[in-house]
Amino acid sequence: MVTTATPVKKMRKVAIYGKGGIGKSTTTQNTVAALTEMGKKVMVVGCDPKADSTRLLLGGLAQRSVLDTLREEGEDVELEDIRSPGFCESLCVESGGPEPGVGCAGRGIITSINMLEQLGAYDEEEQLDYVFYDVLGDVVCGGFAMPIREGKAEEIYIVCSGEMMAMYAANNICKGILKFAENGVVRLGGLICNSRNVDNEKEMIEEFARRLGTQMIHFVPRDNDVQRAEINRKTVIDWNPGVQQAEEYRTLAKAIDKNKLLVVPKPLSIEELESLLMEFGLFQ
Amino acid sequence: MTANIHILPGREDQVWQKGSGGNLACDRRSLAGSVTQRACAFCGSRVVLYPIADALHIVHGPIGCAVYNWDIRGSLSSGPQLHRNSFSTDLQEKEVIFGGEKKLHASLVELIQYYQPKAAFVYSTCIVGLIGDDVQAVCKAVSRETGIDVIPVESPGFKGTKKTGYQAACEAAFKLVGTGDTSQIGPYSINLLGEFNIAGEAWMIKRYFERMGIEVVATITGDGRVDDLRRCHGAKLNLVQCSGSMTHLAKRLDEDYGVPFQRVSFFGLEDTARALYAAAEFFGDPALMERAQEIVYEEIAKITPRLKEYRKRLKGKKAALYVGGAFKAFSLVLALRALGMKTVLAGTQTGSAEDYEQLKEICDPGTVIVDDSNPLELAKFVLEKDVDLFIGGVKERPIAFKLGVAFCDHNHERKIPLAGFEGMLNFAEEVANSVLSPIWRFAPRRMAQALNPKEDSHHECNC
Repeated sequence: MVTTATPVKKMRKVAIYGKGGIGKSTTTQNTVAALTEMGKKVMVVGCDPKADSTRLLLGGLAQRSVLDTLREEGEDVELEDIRSPGFCESLCVESGGPEPGVGCAGRGIITSINMLEQLGAYDEEEQLDYVFYDVLGDVVCGGFAMPIREGKAEEIYIVCSGEMMAMYAANNICKGILKFAENGVVRLGGLICNSRNVDNEKEMIEEFARRLGTQMIHFVPRDNDVQRAEINRKTVIDWNPGVQQAEEYRTLAKAIDKNKLLVVPKPLSIEELESLLMEFGLFQ
Repeated sequence: MTANIHILPGREDQVWQKGSGGNLACDRRSLAGSVTQRACAFCGSRVVLYPIADALHIVHGPIGCAVYNWDIRGSLSSGPQLHRNSFSTDLQEKEVIFGGEKKLHASLVELIQYYQPKAAFVYSTCIVGLIGDDVQAVCKAVSRETGIDVIPVESPGFKGTKKTGYQAACEAAFKLVGTGDTSQIGPYSINLLGEFNIAGEAWMIKRYFERMGIEVVATITGDGRVDDLRRCHGAKLNLVQCSGSMTHLAKRLDEDYGVPFQRVSFFGLEDTARALYAAAEFFGDPALMERAQEIVYEEIAKITPRLKEYRKRLKGKKAALYVGGAFKAFSLVLALRALGMKTVLAGTQTGSAEDYEQLKEICDPGTVIVDDSNPLELAKFVLEKDVDLFIGGVKERPIAFKLGVAFCDHNHERKIPLAGFEGMLNFAEEVANSVLSPIWRFAPRRMAQALNPKEDSHHECNC
């Protein structure tokens, strides 16, 4: 007896947020590399007007963004025009956006995600295990919250470090998630600590995560191999799969793949956040 | 029937009845949910500048904004008709994301090359305010390239009410003032501010002054010209008719060029005469006053017999009026009184406390005064007071007609000049034709009164 039905994969929709410059794109791409190495099929959607979220997966190949394509070719766009194959059969899309100081980048994200949906980038026949949204800095306006609206992303991971401003930003992003979680399916999956070698960093972020009602899903130590791989326009796994840092990203990828702890976060008050910093940053 | 219509909580103090004491609150933001008759800032700026006939008017925004308010007024021109067009940058999703500056630049250059206007006005809409296009920089660049003054009008709709837009328009117009040669302007010279020549009024008023021997340098903005605006600072006096829209420009002209201004009205016999006398008095030349008196005498004599005729037939009829600014309301109350009619409801969109004090004074006991009213409230008083005539603009017309009340358009859409002495006769004729039409006896409420006279005994039957 022959059965023609293919089992339907449940696609996990993940968004990565965090303070500007914290390493969201680097962490996302390295983690995606590890997931694809595990045999997962992953699409990355860069939601930053700079369009630099997929450089390492694509080997530095410049790729035309959704919005540039839309601008130059009008509505008549094919999925292949805006989606490029990257490392290990990952799929890469850049939303793109205006030059700094003009127009509305937030509206751009909305347009671009709607366009991807229309073109069927998320359809079942694409057989995706994951889609990752890599979103710029803070949630500055409604447009940048698009990936966590209407169930587009269901799991959020916040990249942070033990630096005060990174924790402020993480806490702020939790407020955004809380707002959308009240009416939707979006949940916080955890904090990824991208270490800056701050004193007591691991303990502090673990405690911060606990107070937010979530977990520190992995502590990624600082290692210059990341920069070395970046200079070569590659993820660490692609550049040198044997180094320790590649192992760190594999661990993170596995933790995300197995993660079941999805919560509505409880953002801290400014006083709580500052007392946490005092406790771990000053008195030990 | 009207017992079911309540004044919205929060608006009670914006409704006042003469004889009731108390104060009338005004000059505040519209109450949410009240469906105010006011319009947005963009609308305000556009209605003010639009009659400048040899300028290019371009709306920087989505196409809907360009249609909003487009060419609903007469704004007659004795020459160029460029203002009748509604040019737009037609902003779409692409421009919202990437910015609309390039499209604005390209549109301006193309239009200026094609039409060779004397100047261009660029109106900002809500979306431009949100995405932060640097309209000023684009205007400067295009001015440099084309040698034509391109003037930004800072009027994103959300910035405020129509009044905010009036101010933006005055600021934009003021940018042209002072750039023209004033050496040929005589000592007896005025500007007419806030006269928009909707049905040719500016021409009528101008003729009175010319007959007196007074030169009208610029009408701002009715039948307006860019070059007139450039040299209007050379006039010796500004007469401001629509005070709401143009007082700001008058003040700027006073501050920067020392041109004093007076508020006048050219509606009704008394006010028109008073305006002519005010100008004559200002220049202090007895010959001017003599000619003014001659004109007043002659003109009034011409129309009085027919006015008396109308007065006889209109006596005792009740009117409601709702207008933009207060000065027009004063004139209307007086003009209606001259026709033997009573104003039972008077209101304005943007009157100030000072305006309302004056309005309260000239109204009869029992008159209701409303500030920033809404359709429901207006309907309530039209029914309660059982009015025979509603005077207003495009947004009040359906209220009147739905309730079966005669209507006189005294705003953008009128086609007959209602200013000056001849205008008063036109007004009487229009009011009489409408109020005395037999059609109103078939309006449902009048039918009901006719069938059950006892139930509504406090209303006099007009059938």
